[in-house]
Amino acid sequence: MRWTVFAAFLIVVPWLVAAALPGQQRYILHVLIFTTLYGALALSYDLVVGHVGSLSLAHPAFFGIGAYTAALLATEARWPFTIALAAGIALAGLVALALGVPMFRLTEHSFAMGTLGFAIVTQIVATNWVDFTHGPLCVTGIPKPQWGALRVATLPAFYWMGLATVALVGLLYHGLTTFRLGRAFHAVRDNQTLAAAASIDPLRYRMLAFVVGGAVAGGVGTLYVSYVGVLCPGELTVSLSVNLLVMIFLGGVGSLRGVLVGAAAFTALPEVLRMAPTWRMVIYGLLLLVIVIRAPEGLEGLIRRGSALGRRPFSSRA
Amino acid sequence: MALFEARGLTKRFLGVTAVDAVDLTLEAGELVSLIGPNGSGKTTLFNCVTGYLTPDAGRVLFRGRDVTGVAAHRIARLGLGRTFQLVSVFPRLSALENLLTFLQQHQEESVVARLVRTPRVRRFEAAAIERARTLLESVGLAARADAPAGSLSYGQRKLLAFAAALMPDPDLLLLDEPAAAVNPTMIQQMKEQIRALHRQGKTVLLVEHNMDVVMDISQRVVVLDHGQKIAEGPPEAVRRDAKVVEAYFGR
Amino acid sequence: MGDLVEQLVHGLTLGSLYAMVATGLALMFGVVRLINFAHGEFYMLGGYAFWYAYGELGLPYPAAALVATAAMGVFGLVYERSVIRTILSRTWHVQLIATLATSITLTNLAILVFGTQPKEVPTRLSSVIVEVGGVRLAWQRVVVLAAAVVIFAGLEWFVTRAKLGKAMRAMSQNREACAVVGVDVQRVALATFGISAALAGAAAALVSPLFNIFPDVGSLLTLKAFAAVIVGGFGFVKGAIAAAFLIGLAESLAAGYVSYAYKDAIAFVVMVLVLLVRPQGLFGRRIGI
Repeated sequence: MRWTVFAAFLIVVPWLVAAALPGQQRYILHVLIFTTLYGALALSYDLVVGHVGSLSLAHPAFFGIGAYTAALLATEARWPFTIALAAGIALAGLVALALGVPMFRLTEHSFAMGTLGFAIVTQIVATNWVDFTHGPLCVTGIPKPQWGALRVATLPAFYWMGLATVALVGLLYHGLTTFRLGRAFHAVRDNQTLAAAASIDPLRYRMLAFVVGGAVAGGVGTLYVSYVGVLCPGELTVSLSVNLLVMIFLGGVGSLRGVLVGAAAFTALPEVLRMAPTWRMVIYGLLLLVIVIRAPEGLEGLIRRGSALGRRPFSSRA
Repeated sequence: MALFEARGLTKRFLGVTAVDAVDLTLEAGELVSLIGPNGSGKTTLFNCVTGYLTPDAGRVLFRGRDVTGVAAHRIARLGLGRTFQLVSVFPRLSALENLLTFLQQHQEESVVARLVRTPRVRRFEAAAIERARTLLESVGLAARADAPAGSLSYGQRKLLAFAAALMPDPDLLLLDEPAAAVNPTMIQQMKEQIRALHRQGKTVLLVEHNMDVVMDISQRVVVLDHGQKIAEGPPEAVRRDAKVVEAYFGR
Repeated sequence: MGDLVEQLVHGLTLGSLYAMVATGLALMFGVVRLINFAHGEFYMLGGYAFWYAYGELGLPYPAAALVATAAMGVFGLVYERSVIRTILSRTWHVQLIATLATSITLTNLAILVFGTQPKEVPTRLSSVIVEVGGVRLAWQRVVVLAAAVVIFAGLEWFVTRAKLGKAMRAMSQNREACAVVGVDVQRVALATFGISAALAGAAAALVSPLFNIFPDVGSLLTLKAFAAVIVGGFGFVKGAIAAAFLIGLAESLAAGYVSYAYKDAIAFVVMVLVLLVRPQGLFGRRIGI
């Protein structure tokens, strides 16, 4: 019952904002749209980091691959939005599949570095392959989403699209991280050796999380560029990985509610505080440092610490 | 056809031969113990036959099928269960969930089916929960079914790991030092559990240092020293074997 | 032909830089089993320290180089004391994220303090071009290579003769045994960080006259240094040095003959190839530094 009320509240937000703060409406909706997209992206990242325990730094690349695929297909080849979206998701997922096979053979540090290297190379390619990606000149004029007859053009419409996205991704996330699949993921994360003794193939589940996470990131990338209208190589920097890490660790890694709260706090707060981008990154860096050392379970963990089942995902092991 | 066979199994690490051309055969329903001084290669042998290590030479056959070098999760799926020397559980899952994890791969369902939770999957889950509760009952952990496994005592976790290995009803069970680091009452309980398995017709191979346990329950004892098999036979015969005595006390 | 030699010389310069930075990374991993994602920032800060000492304060080159090296040495000690000590006992996730966070913080602080415009610090030696057999090269490049050789020789002496150095080597082979025999494990860890950071600072002082200093220079450098550590075989310092030169040469040749724009991708490509074909590194799995 509470969920329905909350969902209804979320849906009517644009009207509430129009009524309460008419002058600020454009700005607030803009922030909310970003929040929903980041929420979905953070969830896709948490699948890999929080539930299967693989510290991948390649997520910006998948986001970027989805974004560029859709952007170029829409602007150069004039493909309809829905097909471009599907292509963005599919290509990002395929690249994740291709990357995962060699990467998951590596030990933890090398995996992190390898995925980081991939992200950096992707950015280098996006910046330098000017003939294809327009490089620093950016891809411009990306058309707005068109779902069949439905055209998403107004801010409230984008907000609802974002809301639907995060709801859908949340549903997928929930399905994957609970019940049998959740148990399999967590077994691989917490005790890979024992998981194998339980007939669970660690590689299979790592790949599953990685590919689904990558594909969803690609999808979010597509939606993102259809909203912003412009795509530059600067969107795929390592900073995005840091931002995602802050989001999931601040809110609570491995927790649906936690990650969404983290994403919301991360996106909304600097807007509220009106911070300059560079100062923002300094604060985030310090924040991430403090959180990961002092409170790795994030806000969610601090709340749960009261109950008997306190979870500590990345706390020290004796 | 023997249930399990290791032929000429050899494993080397950086110049040291941990397991040296060991032959080991288990007929269905046997209860065999593998003993030997520390460093004689018992756990390495276990790891070789359960897919955690690839042997440098020799073959492993399970029900006549060559499983040498097959990955651990595939061997487990074939019906070979094991426990670990350092007791191993999933600390953040509950005791019940620990057990469920061991059965789920044996009930065929696709990822999508599990994602969507089809009625078939739900039925499997319900059946698994029932079996898990029965097993927890049999090891005396029914009261802690929903407690996170990490919060259980060492002895309780040992029993949990034991129950978990039994969940998929394996034909062959390899137990790595089930009686280590537990109190005498628990040892009695363990012995009873293993005897019960034997009565049910299960095949058990245990690695053990506790000689009382070994002598008490084994049908046959195999002795390793420095990676080589130096003796094999009924408990009393092995106990008196001069080579065995020398291996343990002679040096 | 002259062109090729110039590329090779440039490759050796790059290799010297990568080797010095990679050595620090390998030492840290060898001794305390930790990957420091902020390592490139030691180089970056060292570069700015050198710029300040030489460019702003007007100190003579050797003094300025020493200042940069010493400043980074101290920074390394402080860094170990503050950040590293807290995360040494934690899981590798925490360590990785913590050092990554430090890297981002330092990079952005540098932007705030020094601005995004690259600093150029030409020295007399970097401007003096000498012609050797039809090849034009700046004296500074010779200095870089010579200094690198001296530094590595010094390091080798250090880990084989000096008490602290021997302790470092011992710790990288068996940490527990060291603690048992009474080696001050914490002090050795502290010293390792100081030395690693100082190495990066020295590298910056040597190479900054040739390349520019900018806040972001650290991130790519960390990746390339890490690539060298992986290719050389984790924790094995000599292997990392050899691999670093290999990467430097490959990068220079690729930039000259294949494509300048994608030169930075070379290190990654080499790393991935090695990881796929020979995961234990080109020089096998050696234990210890």
